[in-house]
Amino acid sequence: MSQTPQTNPAIEHLSPGTLNAFIDGELSPAERQAVEQHLATCHACTLRVLSATQLKTATAGAGRRFVPPPEALSRLTAQLRSQPQIEPLPQKRKSTPIHLVRTAIWATLAAAILLTVSLLGWRELHPPSTLAAELLDQHLATLSSGATPQVISTDRHTVKPWFQGRLPFSFNLPDNTALPPDTVLKGADLTYLNNQPAALLLFTIHKHEVSVFLTQRATSPTLGDLPGTRRGFTIHSATTPDLHMIAVSDVNPADLDLLLAALVQAQNPG
Amino acid sequence: MPSSRTEDFEQLALPLFPSLYNHAFWLTRNQAEAEDLAQETFTKSLRAFDSFQPGTNFKAWMFRILRNSFLTTRTGIAASRTVFLEDHPETLDTADRGPTPEDNLIRLDNQAALHAALEQLPPPLREALLLCDVEEIKYKDIANILDVPIGTVMSRISRARRTLRQLLQPQLGESL
Repeated sequence: MSQTPQTNPAIEHLSPGTLNAFIDGELSPAERQAVEQHLATCHACTLRVLSATQLKTATAGAGRRFVPPPEALSRLTAQLRSQPQIEPLPQKRKSTPIHLVRTAIWATLAAAILLTVSLLGWRELHPPSTLAAELLDQHLATLSSGATPQVISTDRHTVKPWFQGRLPFSFNLPDNTALPPDTVLKGADLTYLNNQPAALLLFTIHKHEVSVFLTQRATSPTLGDLPGTRRGFTIHSATTPDLHMIAVSDVNPADLDLLLAALVQAQNPG
Repeated sequence: MPSSRTEDFEQLALPLFPSLYNHAFWLTRNQAEAEDLAQETFTKSLRAFDSFQPGTNFKAWMFRILRNSFLTTRTGIAASRTVFLEDHPETLDTADRGPTPEDNLIRLDNQAALHAALEQLPPPLREALLLCDVEEIKYKDIANILDVPIGTVMSRISRARRTLRQLLQPQLGESL
């Protein structure tokens, strides 16, 4: 950066963006040093920085305005402690393996259930659904830049065993060749949904991120009223005799249904 | 008795309660709704705590859950239906040259005027500005919380400050 800003102020003065980034501590050390060098010789910009800093400080004070009622914190802690307790992840729970029904009748039944639920899933959101909000929150959390799943693997032989002992139920994953076209398993996480432990499977379909939540049907017999879409994301579900499966994504709904169908089919390999 | 995991959560999260409540109040403009929203945020965060990645910004994670929870409330749904035209690139930064020497004369010691000016800011501008100035959250984390590109965060903050200065200037003639 030139050291003669006053000779050509139109070019050298700090832009509003640089000024804001400077007072917000968003510049790299080199950028910051360049700005400080400029300020050392430019009275006008120094005044602008001073004014902007004063406004920032005043905003911080005025914005910190609403104080919770004194009893709110005790209400909050009471509520938190009434929640099902989160236990450390490596639980040595005795999972009771649930053997899948392997009959031809089941295949027909599963297809029928999937079709019915998928059709229901097309309905638009009207009443807010807590479960839908939770699903969307968790899906959005997986999209955030810092989020990495606990298991990062495209191999079902890695992902499935990882859940053993961590979940009170088991499930099958389809082979890569049994997945719909351009659908890839990316990894998995352990999570909680509706206060139930759940497997979170992360897929991509044509570059779209997909979250699939699996929960045990025995502990939550019904899913309640799930909207088919929420805030632009499709939420479709399917059930098997043992499992609830809920998929959330912004991918084409038909592609999402193909993935759900593959997952349903995998529970009935025979 | 809380498990150690819940204790870990409480240790990290409870100190944020005043900040989350304050922000919830700015979003909902209602004491009961703000407390409900803050409580819902804590409940959801506790349930999702295992998915929080240690080493990432816990405060930003909580604020993101707060905002997503807000968007599912009646007030939030109504707010999200309001299209914020100011994000449109053609309306951005056409005349923003930052503070001018005259802006140095705005009265920042008048708390009532500042409160009134903050109230008058369009909610998307105010939200970005509060996350930056009050909560001291970095632009990239604000972008994550608001689910917008980082450039939009910078534009909103810049525009919010310019609007505040404009709103505060009329106080000059009245108060001097």
